[in-house]
Amino acid sequence: MKPFTFFSPRTLAEASRILADHNGNGRALAGGTDLLIRMKRGQWTPRAVVSLNRIAGLNEIALNGELKLGARVTLNQLIRSPIIREYFPVLAATARNMAGVQVRTLATVGGNLCNASPSADMSPPLMALNARAVIVGAAGERVVSLDEFFVGPGKSVLQSDEILRELIVPYNSRAARASYKKLEHRAAMDIAMVGVSVAVEFQKAEFGNRNCADARIVLGAVAPTPLRAKRAEEILRGNILNKENIAHAARVAAEEARPIDDVRSSAWYRREMVEALTRRQLMEIRDLRLEIGD
Amino acid sequence: MRSWRWDVNNYSVIGKRVPKLDALDKATGRAQYGHDLNLPGMLVGKILYANVPHARILNIDISRAEKVRGVKAVITGEHNPVHKFGYGADNTPLKADKVRSRRDEVAAVAAMDDDAANEALALIRVEYAELPPLYSAEAALAAGAPLVHEERANNLFLRYNYAHGDAERAFDDADEIVEEEYFLPYVTHAAMETSFALAVFDLQNRLTMWSTTQIPFLLQRDLSEALGMPGRDIRIIQPTIGGAFGRGLDVYPFEPICALLAKHSGKPVRLAFTRDEEFFATATRQPAHVKMRTGVKRDGTLWARDASVLLDAGAYISWGAVTPLVMMETTASLYRVPHAKFVADVVYSNNPPTGAMRGYGNPQSTFFVETQMDMLAEKLGMDPVEFRLKNANIPNSETPQGLKITSCGLRECITEVAERIGWERRSSVSSNQLSVVSNQSSVSSNQSPVSNPQSPIRRGIGIACTLNVGGGARIYRSDGCGATVKVDDFGRVTLISGSTEIGQGSETALAQIVAEVLGVRVDDVTVINSDTSVKPWDVGTHASRTTFIAGNAAWIAANQVREKILDHAAQMLNVSPNHLEMRDGMVRVQGDAAGKGIAYDKVVRAMHYREDGNVVSGTGWYDPPTKLVDKDTYKGNISAAYGFGAQAVEIEVDTETGQVRVLKIVAAHDVGRAINPMYVEGQIEGGAQMGVGYALSEELQVREGRILNPSLLDYRMPTALDMPPIESVIIETADPEGPFGAKGVGEMGGNPTAAAIANALYNAVGIRMNQLPMTGERVLRALKEKERMENGD
Repeated sequence: MKPFTFFSPRTLAEASRILADHNGNGRALAGGTDLLIRMKRGQWTPRAVVSLNRIAGLNEIALNGELKLGARVTLNQLIRSPIIREYFPVLAATARNMAGVQVRTLATVGGNLCNASPSADMSPPLMALNARAVIVGAAGERVVSLDEFFVGPGKSVLQSDEILRELIVPYNSRAARASYKKLEHRAAMDIAMVGVSVAVEFQKAEFGNRNCADARIVLGAVAPTPLRAKRAEEILRGNILNKENIAHAARVAAEEARPIDDVRSSAWYRREMVEALTRRQLMEIRDLRLEIGD
Repeated sequence: MRSWRWDVNNYSVIGKRVPKLDALDKATGRAQYGHDLNLPGMLVGKILYANVPHARILNIDISRAEKVRGVKAVITGEHNPVHKFGYGADNTPLKADKVRSRRDEVAAVAAMDDDAANEALALIRVEYAELPPLYSAEAALAAGAPLVHEERANNLFLRYNYAHGDAERAFDDADEIVEEEYFLPYVTHAAMETSFALAVFDLQNRLTMWSTTQIPFLLQRDLSEALGMPGRDIRIIQPTIGGAFGRGLDVYPFEPICALLAKHSGKPVRLAFTRDEEFFATATRQPAHVKMRTGVKRDGTLWARDASVLLDAGAYISWGAVTPLVMMETTASLYRVPHAKFVADVVYSNNPPTGAMRGYGNPQSTFFVETQMDMLAEKLGMDPVEFRLKNANIPNSETPQGLKITSCGLRECITEVAERIGWERRSSVSSNQLSVVSNQSSVSSNQSPVSNPQSPIRRGIGIACTLNVGGGARIYRSDGCGATVKVDDFGRVTLISGSTEIGQGSETALAQIVAEVLGVRVDDVTVINSDTSVKPWDVGTHASRTTFIAGNAAWIAANQVREKILDHAAQMLNVSPNHLEMRDGMVRVQGDAAGKGIAYDKVVRAMHYREDGNVVSGTGWYDPPTKLVDKDTYKGNISAAYGFGAQAVEIEVDTETGQVRVLKIVAAHDVGRAINPMYVEGQIEGGAQMGVGYALSEELQVREGRILNPSLLDYRMPTALDMPPIESVIIETADPEGPFGAKGVGEMGGNPTAAAIANALYNAVGIRMNQLPMTGERVLRALKEKERMENGD
């Protein structure tokens, strides 16, 4: 590993200043489950590593009309949090299917997002939930919709002095029934070949009403960034969530995907799986609505 | 044939679930693996790999690397001894003239720490003149192909040509014929501990090497060839080894390189593979392209079989080149087939060098033989179980290949797994009717997928069998192993065994054998098996041979000790030694448990403290009554016993994703006698797990000679969560030659799994997969293809 200076500031402002001083040669450290591996492999050679672990308040989970999710919240915290389990079950379920126990103890929500991997598991469900990112930098604070957060593989809108502080996630009935499915080669310790998150809001809360007020469909690992399947969403918006519309939306979502061939999967299979996973999750939401009118 | 003096039903230790001797040390992290070792002044060794597939080396400039602070030695091909090494005598530690694969070793560094070593590696400049690369066995055999080894006339290393009966003509008399083509992938051992060597020379120029090898005595010899030094000056020590699975069956360049670095630096040098290196720089299982046809008579009698196999051995030949010997055994002798022909070409290419891996050809051949058995059964309209039973080997028979089958529980294995998986459900399990959900099955069916006609989930059941050497395998001129047993004044029994423990548990099985013979507790037995300067000779851990071969050697040595103790006790007790037995730590008159006896350690003390005393020890040597195969016909009885097995699986296929999930495996294996049922189950379960990986997810993706997925993330071995419940059934046939009737089980568990899964997949959705692994993507493509055909597009 290349030599580097380790900083452990107590405030975000100080952390941001150190990053600014290093002018792109600094890296923020949260859980370190990606950073340290890349440093050991020589892929990243930062001159400064700025730990966020002594900064207070970054690991908070609070629900006050909207959910405030600190960037340093670990995957294990998500899994255990009563707030998350009750009101945002998709986030707990997603975290539970990531990596293994040891990594989940360290890895953070913010880290998963800021690495901006196209296959990151936290991105699609948080985008489906319409989350916003609160970013702090030398110039102050700004809020960016997660839809606009990702720029390309490994690249987000974060400038070299900026740090993700927290996510704000609106709470509504959609949150309770959002879902995320990823296609893996095995049942654990795997990266998504394809990940699809779906969130649907119905027009009326009455039993059996299947008119879809709004839908968000987010695709992971099938484009340079997590991708909203906007045309597919449009097919559902204002329409009844029935088999025909679901099949149509799933087909269109597959068309919207821009997958590549790589060591994990072919583009053909990824596209097929976008369709299958989208259809499946929409059908599950429909079936649940018919069964218990949730 | 050995006659056991002990009553089968009255063993005190044999057949008991004794925990492994090193279980606590391993579970608590106390066991010392090679990676844990640290010697004063020890340096880190690192290797520079070529990363060009085929090229002449024009120049290697190490001048900048040598100047890096902390670097103590930089070596290149110039430092090589002149002698080549390896099974093909085609390899050198570092390459001087040309490189033949991307992972060819071109230089190495010894430095104070990893960073200095890596920095130095990055500063080495190698100039190459690239040569046209060969990326497949087919390309390597094409006319005018460039030569991987220019001293050879062509790239064909060896052709195996086996035949019995007259397969060519017999196909004319067959009533049904199946002919298929198979593509089998590169897979790798991915042992938990990566490859390791630690070398140090003493002032007399003698080498000590700590190693993860499976063949310490052959490594001694191979290193002496590679290094050009006397074998007697080489001592191999094996610390606790974290798995090997065939990886350690040859000497590989990193071992002599480590020694050369130690020599040139004058310091101990540790060379431990990173996980990346473990994937790209260890020898893999050969990929194979197979064509096979089988003919049957209408009554279900297997009649003729003809297989041709093309093996891409890569740039250098290891013992992995001998795997066709095992493949031909499956092809010609798993069932009785009167006419058989088997041809295999082992070919050089510029792909990564390949080697030995658990099963040694058998998972491959079992896959193509056993999937074809199901196809034949279908053509005949016969039940696959019935078809197999009809053609199964029987005890005390000799196959046309010359295998002398003594104990044989194949039929019991087949019947047992068929019953336990619920074979009668096979014809209905894949259809969509409510009635087929079985409550007898332990498979969780909470979603009852088959009960819902809308559901994309289908179920299927499949079976496959295996034959594996179980009484050693004479692939070297000797298949022998030595053992010494001694007893000290306090009754501590020490077994010094030539065999090698790589995590399989054999040392505890050996301790049980010694404990049973001497009537002591397993806790009273210490096993020493880690140092060539202490232990007697052995050819190594391979071919599922350790419990059988080393067990017989230990049995012989322990019996000598027993006789010495009984003789002396007879004098002390004034009875005939023939009337005495050793049991529960006592020597006493047979059948007289309450009668007068004497503690065995007291007898030993008495023998030590007398004028004409003696050391209480015994030495055994066991080399089984077998032969090398005939070098022209490949016939002959290679093993003193044969293990058999059958596995039945139930699977679920998601027809929308193509993904296959194994719900249950029932594995019955004829192991002669289970010295320790827990380890037998462990071997079966571990084998089945490797088999599930081979079937569904494991593949080293090699493109243009480069391994694209050298990580535990992208090389997908099944996790615990991917494994179904495995019901292991131990079939005991009490082999006449095995120690207490035991036969080997080390490799068998992984042989039939992939074929059973493929057969279940056919049962579930009617597709035949002839390429492994059967990934979701491949299955989905096949399903879509089938749909297209059925729609007549």
